[in-house]
Parts: sequence; C-alpha cells; structure tokens
Amino acid sequence: MIDDDRISAEAQDSPKQEGAGRAVRRGVIALGGGAALFVLVSMAFDLGWLRDRGEPVKNREAPQAMHTFFPPGEQAIPDGPAGDAIKRGQAIFMNTRMNAKDFVGNHLSCSNCHLDGGRKADSAPMWAAWVSYPAYRKKNKQINTMEDRIKGCFTYSMNAQNSPTGGAPPAGHDVYKDLQTYMHWLATGAPTGKKMLGAGYPELDKPAGGYDPARGKLVYDAKCAVCHGSDGQGQRDLNGRLVFPPLWGPDSYNWGAGMARVNTAAGFIKANMPLGQGNSLTDQQAWDAAAFIDSQERPRDPRQKGSIADNAKANHGGDSYYGKVVGGRQLGAGTK
Amino acid sequence: MKTQLSGPPSPSETFEPYETMRPIPLGVLMIAVALALWGVVLLFDNSEAVAIGQAERADVLADQPARSDADGASLFSARCATCHQPNGSGVSGAVPPLAGSPFLAGRAEVPIAILLRGIDGPIRVRDTVYDGHMPSFASVLSDEEIARLVSYLRERFADRPAPVAAEMVTALRGELAGGSGWKGGQELAARLAPELAPQPSFALASRAEADPATMRLVNEGTNGSWACASCHGALGQGSETVPRLAGLPAGYIARQLESYLNGSRRNESMAVVARSLTRQERVALGDYYALLRAPSNARPSLGGDIARGERLVLEGVWDRGIPPCVSCHGPSAFGVAPGFPGLAAQHPAYTASQLAAWVSGERDNAQQKLMNGIARSLDDADRRAVADYLATLPPVPVAATKERADDRR
Repeated sequence: MIDDDRISAEAQDSPKQEGAGRAVRRGVIALGGGAALFVLVSMAFDLGWLRDRGEPVKNREAPQAMHTFFPPGEQAIPDGPAGDAIKRGQAIFMNTRMNAKDFVGNHLSCSNCHLDGGRKADSAPMWAAWVSYPAYRKKNKQINTMEDRIKGCFTYSMNAQNSPTGGAPPAGHDVYKDLQTYMHWLATGAPTGKKMLGAGYPELDKPAGGYDPARGKLVYDAKCAVCHGSDGQGQRDLNGRLVFPPLWGPDSYNWGAGMARVNTAAGFIKANMPLGQGNSLTDQQAWDAAAFIDSQERPRDPRQKGSIADNAKANHGGDSYYGKVVGGRQLGAGTK
Repeated sequence: MKTQLSGPPSPSETFEPYETMRPIPLGVLMIAVALALWGVVLLFDNSEAVAIGQAERADVLADQPARSDADGASLFSARCATCHQPNGSGVSGAVPPLAGSPFLAGRAEVPIAILLRGIDGPIRVRDTVYDGHMPSFASVLSDEEIARLVSYLRERFADRPAPVAAEMVTALRGELAGGSGWKGGQELAARLAPELAPQPSFALASRAEADPATMRLVNEGTNGSWACASCHGALGQGSETVPRLAGLPAGYIARQLESYLNGSRRNESMAVVARSLTRQERVALGDYYALLRAPSNARPSLGGDIARGERLVLEGVWDRGIPPCVSCHGPSAFGVAPGFPGLAAQHPAYTASQLAAWVSGERDNAQQKLMNGIARSLDDADRRAVADYLATLPPVPVAATKERADDRR
C-alpha cells in the first residue's frame, strides 16, 4: 500500500517535469507554425487563390441600364454658338411655358413626359426620336420632318390653340431650331434610321379582360394621387410653381395628344410611374390607371371641325375615350 | 481472496483515478496563433484606414472654402438658376424674371437687401405680380460672395457693369441684421427704392398665432415629456442628428408624430414625446413649426462630395432608378405641402441617417414607400454627398399659410 503510493506519486511527478519541457516545445512549434500559416494564407490571398470565384456581383444598375445608348450629360454641352443653341433648346424643353410662352396653352413642359430632359429610355427619349425622322406618320398621312413632329407636340400636347398666339410656332421659328439642336446633341453617336432599344414608350399587350376606368380610379388614388393630386391637377410649391403636372382639365394636354390614347399612356405609366418605381405596376394596373386618366375631360381636339362624332370617326380610332359617353356625359367637348 | 491476490494488483483504495490532459492538437494551436496575428494586422490596417479617412475628410472640408471662391457666374448657376432659370427668365406665374428686372437695374443695395433677407410677400416685376417666397441667403453666402453674385447679376441682366464692393454688403448686413423676409415689394420700395413703386400691398396672411398651450409644449414640455425646443432649438433649427423643423409642411410634421406612435418610424425619444400628445396637439405643433423662419445653421459635415450631391439632387441618376430629389421635394428643395418635406438647410447627419433608416427599415413611413427604393439605390458616399449638398442650401421661406387646412392629417 505504502509502496504503491510512492510509486504512483513518482509516476505523477515525472510526466509533470517532462510535460513542462514539452509544453515549451509545443509553444514554439505552435507559434512558428501559426506564423507560417498566417504568412501562407496571406500570400494565397495576395495571389488571388482564395478570392471569391463565384459570379461577379451583379451591378445594381444592370436591370435598367440594359439600353445601350447613353446620351451626353449636361456638363458636355460645348461652348460657342452651337452650345448656346443647345442650352436654349434645353431651357425650352425643361420650362416650355416660360421659354416658348407664345405657343404654349397649358401648364406642361416637354420634360413632363420625356423624363430626364429627354434622356430616359422608355419615356420617348429624344436621342431615339432624332434618328427616326423624317418619317411617314399615319396621324397626318404624310412625311413628317422633325420640325413637323415638334409642331404636333405644340398643337396637341402643349395645347397651342390656347396660347397667346393661338397656334404652334410658325415654320422655321427659332423654337424649332433650338429644340432640334438640343435633340441632335442628345443623339450624339446614335445610329440614324435604326430602331433603338428604349425608343418611344413600351407597347403593352392589352389585358385579356380589357381595361376599366372604375378600377383605374382605385389605382390612381393609391398610386398617383399623392403627387398629381386627387383632382388630377398636380401640385405646386410655395411659390405657385407646378412641381407635379396636371393630368387632365384645362391645364393638361388636349384630346389630340398621343398621351390621350389609353395605350400610349399605359406604356408611359408602366415604364415610368410612380416616379422612381417604374415597372412596379402590373400591366392591368397601368392600363386601368391610363383609362381613368384618359376618360376625364381635357381641352378640345383642335382638329374638330364638325361634330364630336365626326371627329371621333376621322381621328380617334382605337383606345381613345374621345366621343364616348362616360358617366352620362359625352367626352370631347373640351374644357373652358 | 486468493483469486484476487493472484490477479493484477488491486488499485490502492486511496488512489483517485485521473486522466492526463490530452494536449491541444498542434494544428489548432497554430490556427489560433494565425488568427491572433490576423487580428493584430487587421487592427493595425484598420487604424491606418481610419486615419486616412479622417485626413481625407479634413482635406475635403478644408477644400470647401475654395468653393466660396467661385465667381459670380458659378454662384448664379448654383444658387439662383434652379428657380430663376439659367437664362434668368423666371417661371411663369411663380418666379419673377431677373432679365430686365427693375430690382437689378436700380441701386445695388436693392438686390443685396433681397439676398440678405429674402422675400415673404407679393412683388411686382415688369407688370406682373408674383406671390414671392424667396429664401434669405444671409446664412449661406459670405459678404464677398454676395458682392460677386450681385455684380454678375447686374452686369448680365441689367447691363450695369460696375462691380459691387463687399464692404457695401457688410454695411447692409449690419443694418438689416435679424430682420425677417421683406414683406413683398411694398416694404422694399418704401425702404430702399421708391422708384419701384407702386408695389402690391402686403396683406398679412391669416396667420394664427400659436396658442399658449402649444407654446407651453414647445418651451416647457408636458405630461412628463420634454419640451420640443430642448432638442430642436428655440427656432426649430435643430442640430446634428436632430432635424430642423422650421418651415416643414404642417401636415408632414403631424404625420411624423403619428408615425412615432404607430411604430412606422422608430425613435425611442420621439415615441415618448408622441405618446404624450393628443391629436390636436400634434396638428398644432405642425402648424407652429411650419410658420417658423429660422436662418440655416446647417453646414456640410460628412465630407461628402458636394458636386456629386448637387448632381443627385438636381439631375438624379435615372439609370439607377434615382429621380432628382427636386422632382418631388420641389425646385430648391423647399418641399411640396403636405406630403413632401423641404430638404433645404437640413442637417447633414440627420439627412444621411434618415436615408440609412429607410434602408434598414427603422423608418418605413414614406408615402407609397417612395423613399425606400431610392434610399436603397444610394450608396454611402451618395448619401453623404446629398446630405452635405442640401446643407448648403438656404432655408425654406415661410409659406405654410398656403397649405389648406384639409390637407393636414
């Protein structure tokens, strides 16, 4: 018993002493090995062996940056007379009522429907329009130059019949020259005559069940009214400056405008509205909202000579509420 | 017993069984050592990055006075053109033209006085009356800058090439210090330029003076919660991460207080305050702050790239789904009542923190979640750039009287 105890005590002692020496050795190896491991791994990193080899992180710009054409930015406007004309054209484009005031009969600007100063793809960008004219247009059944096309914008979208001069700028007017210089500059590097990705407004397939202004009102109240107002007349800042454009009524586009057609408005809405949330509405919502907006009264169609019904037959096929009876009232009589 | 003795020696009865400790495998030790080394290197690396960051930020801030060396033309395009337009045409029915304006053609004191105090009333320019609301630039432009700007404006738009001396601005600043905006063209004409008469008379907007109960909320607090002024300042001007309230739309302020109640905007302190307020008190506080006019005390402080911020605010980055801030918050970022708050002269730390809060979900009360996507599309440098740029803008002029009572929620 006593022996056993002594022996076991010795047996316990000797590994302890031995263990101390071993611990030191192990410590040295661990430190050295750790340092070596660290150096190895950091070398591996430096040489790129351990870098993420997965798919490159998707550029968050990608979904909307698919369009291949990028118009020049503001700071690229050249100096000199051409640059001055570009700036004048830009000023007209952004603030049409002020800078082409003789020919504007409502409270809209070009840039209300052609976003980002006519740059944004899928909002009828000017760089794509520039390379598409002269072209034949069914609307007036003739070849239109760019000047003719812009004249149409003044006549209908800017409701020139209600302007101080009562009409669009006369042929060869500086307004056309400046606007075209601006558009030509925006189209720097664009291929002439080629249908460009992002041109015009997207064409949406008509929903199987059609569209419905009553449903559209619900979409409008939920998604549009916060900016355009529940009465559709837009909103002004504290100086009375219009920040959000009116969508119907006397200060909006007239019955002859492209945007007065439900399909055109639906395409614009789908791609661009609500601002900053483009493509967030379903096609059905876009069609319904467009139907609601375009079934409100707006300035009369300047092409109307005889009755509304005659003009409807001559100029308003397809998806237009012109001449139709909505809420017990025939649309097309005009405002004011 | 015998069998036991012939067997293996029985263990001592006092012997306690033990296990020798199994040594930690060398590999694990090595990895631990390597990780420790990595940590040390990271700390060192990081401290270097922080130091570089601080140095860069100091550099950027030091560079910013250089911006104030800007000539009159760049001051004009940065400070005036968003409202008066790059060609000085103004905006029909809203912003008076500079081109051919008699206010520029007469004594130089007139435009200086307008820049120093802003305008808060109707003004007649070239036979058209404008309901003028122009901010005061006293808190955002130096005397030299105002002198350069006025010289440029007079030369370009009124054919008066004689430069204006900064001393004239300094003298006028002293004389006009502390005044609120000019009560329209009438007060301006009476004080400085009789030749500009007749000017439309200024009818004091039906401004309801804040009732004593509201003033008590503002200055003393109630029901165990703090006074508004204890954090937001006596003039509602705010500081750092506490927002400026002066000039924000009444309906917007009331809606924020509701958001603190229903949790769509999270902030412990404001939740306490909001719980202590009745609906009427929330509305009254909105009305009170909407009518306050306070000079800007916001300065760029995040080291953001001001030029980049200016581009984001005025032009947006449409490819990334970022419309210009001003397309909804109004030209000059004065806001559009009741839904869209003014952003001008807001404190950058606050602006940037809100943009981050929309990403993190701390704040989720934007109408139609309009801000959520936009905030997500901005990276950290964008947020700092936008916030710093907005801090350079003059404060929102008072015009909340235009807000219709039924817009208030």
